[in-house]
Amino acid sequence: MFANFDFGVIASSLPYLFGQGMVFTVTLTALAAGMGVVLGTLIALMRLSGIPGVTHLAKGYVELMRSLPLVLVIFWFYFLVPYIGAWATRSSTPMQVGAFPSALITFTLFEAAFFAEIMRAGIQSIAKGQTAAAQALGLTYWQTMGSIVLPQAFRNMLPLLLTQTIVLFQDTSLVYVLSLTDFLGAASKVAQRDGRLVEMYLFAAVVYFAVCFAASFLVRRLHSRVAIIR
Amino acid sequence: MTSTPMPAPGAAKPVATAVQAPEDEGLQTGPLVTPPPATAAGVPMIAIDAISKWYGSFQVLTDCTTQIAKGEVVVVCGPSGSGKSTLIKCVNALEPFQSGQITVDGTRVKDKATNLPKLRSRVGMVFQHFELFPHLSIIENLTLAQRKVLGRSSDDAKTRGRDLLARVGLSAHSEKYPGQLSGGQQQRVAIARALAMNPVVMLFDEPTSALDPEMVGEVLDVMVELARDGMTMMVVTHEMGFARKVADRVIFMDKGEIVEDAKKDDFFGKPRSERAQHFLSKILQH
Amino acid sequence: MNYNWNWGIYFEPSPEGVGTYADMLLSGLQWTVATALSSWVIAFFLGSLIGVMRTLPSKAAQAFGTAYVELFRNIPLLVQMFLWYFVVPELLPESLGTRLKQLPNAPFVTAVVCLGLFTASRVAEQVRAGIQALPRGQGMAGTALGLTVAQTYRHVLLPNAYRIILPPLTSEFLNNLKNTSVALTIGLLELTARARAMQEFSFQVFEAFTAATILYVLINVVVIVLATWLERTVAVPGTR
Repeated sequence: MFANFDFGVIASSLPYLFGQGMVFTVTLTALAAGMGVVLGTLIALMRLSGIPGVTHLAKGYVELMRSLPLVLVIFWFYFLVPYIGAWATRSSTPMQVGAFPSALITFTLFEAAFFAEIMRAGIQSIAKGQTAAAQALGLTYWQTMGSIVLPQAFRNMLPLLLTQTIVLFQDTSLVYVLSLTDFLGAASKVAQRDGRLVEMYLFAAVVYFAVCFAASFLVRRLHSRVAIIR
Repeated sequence: MTSTPMPAPGAAKPVATAVQAPEDEGLQTGPLVTPPPATAAGVPMIAIDAISKWYGSFQVLTDCTTQIAKGEVVVVCGPSGSGKSTLIKCVNALEPFQSGQITVDGTRVKDKATNLPKLRSRVGMVFQHFELFPHLSIIENLTLAQRKVLGRSSDDAKTRGRDLLARVGLSAHSEKYPGQLSGGQQQRVAIARALAMNPVVMLFDEPTSALDPEMVGEVLDVMVELARDGMTMMVVTHEMGFARKVADRVIFMDKGEIVEDAKKDDFFGKPRSERAQHFLSKILQH
Repeated sequence: MNYNWNWGIYFEPSPEGVGTYADMLLSGLQWTVATALSSWVIAFFLGSLIGVMRTLPSKAAQAFGTAYVELFRNIPLLVQMFLWYFVVPELLPESLGTRLKQLPNAPFVTAVVCLGLFTASRVAEQVRAGIQALPRGQGMAGTALGLTVAQTYRHVLLPNAYRIILPPLTSEFLNNLKNTSVALTIGLLELTARARAMQEFSFQVFEAFTAATILYVLINVVVIVLATWLERTVAVPGTR
């Protein structure tokens, strides 16, 4: 059944697939993960702040994002971001936002909800006595968070944060619905152009599998090493 | 005369743990803190005035009033659930209270204008479960608050930290992590961490009750030393031997109330309240 | 900012000829629910089977279970969707492949199979975790009473494991439901696809997506309410 399998089409499109597609995918994943963790941590702190309005706002945001399909959220922001841009710059016409910034904003805001839940669990896993001890030494709220609680929470949650980043890496393939040229988008474009769907989609699957499998293996190894000495 | 055997300094060897520290250098002599300069007598270091506290509708503290003078060592005891830990945590506002007032060295704890971090930096606290920061090395545990709260330079903070580590006999461990030390060693580090802030008063919340019995002595030795150097101390503990040795006064609490507040000799000689007599008879039997 | 709101748009006839935009969205909702429920049946039974395999003493069974989970977890769902829709029919014998392509509901069938097998890998992980969370004595007690391995799983281990993992299973169910939207790429006319179509026909971007958002949130609420009820109903007296 692989009789007319054409390896040539894969070989000749490698520079395009990786030079453009994979670079897009990896850049989007790395930036969205970095910004998502920062935003997610802030949302987690808001949710744990105990200030009624702030707590509910954070909770509502997380719950909303978690109940919507990512595809719908991608569409939402694709159309919403230009209007928000116009509102922010007081322009009368929707702002032109490039495809990459739009995707980056979408994934950052969407993944922040998931990172927020991980960081919230991480913060809650730190014994209350740690906060009490830091306060007893005179550290302020932000000093306590910055020096004592968050570093420990981050270290404890690092494996989960990285696993979520692998999920994000896979999720970025959904920018296909905006016809962007991420790794899958590039593979798809070659597939359509040359009529080689079998080769290109199988190759894409193999590459995604290899990257994600290796990454989860490394995360598991890290998990056993990074644990805090207690 | 003491009911708790006091080992000679350095005699208490920590039990073998998974990660065993090398030699303990033993406690060195010399003052742990410079005695505070004498000031006008009669001004209390801690004034606790009619404190009451509720968790919802459950009252945990009822109208507690007492004072601790400069240089005084006061032991707070009582059955578990009597509110003694809650009371000591009110002193540096780790626990809020609904009515009454606490004044520490002239600063009112419950006052919107009070800078709580600043107040807390002058009140050292030692916890039952040590609460060293597990992600920081021992020396980092000692220097963090000095730098962030007192604004000391890294070098100054380290010098002060090493100095105090030497005083509690743990110089060799400065680069280790808390998880690599025994419980007794961790609690000595915790005391050094509090002292590094140059506190005017030290609070101890059951400092030995999470320790294996053979490590209690090394921690109590440090505390006795501290008391003899003139530190103002409020100590929640069941160690009556320590109370007999260094306490000036003993406060007995039960059900959220201060039942007895007496000079040490009066308390051990002839407690007035039946509840305190009952408590003492139970705790001193062994 | 110029955007012409038109909340009455839902009741205007859709360009498809029959019904309003609201009807269009509701038919999308029906496909979403139908796809989610059908694929969940596959995911639940296959996932349980694979989860159990990973807890069996047999090395071969464990290896198969692990390989299955790793394979389906490490390839993006969208790629899997394309493999089932575009690639699998080509790899089958020609007559079968053609029959597959000509199925009247090809996108629906493909989406159900794809989501079912994908979600099965996630259910398997939960089932395994649930079984491993049980005290080891449970399995031994079953064996000691003379139960076969299958009987021990059926009557002792699984009933308790499912109770433990009900909350994570609920979120896997919701994930599966949300994942149905990925099938719009192979032409399934589910809720997100219909909202997108409404936006393209009417240019009322925000009305279309707001309606879809509200519908998704409503299904989530319904599922969570049902799951909470189920959790209470199956709770064993005297536990927790």
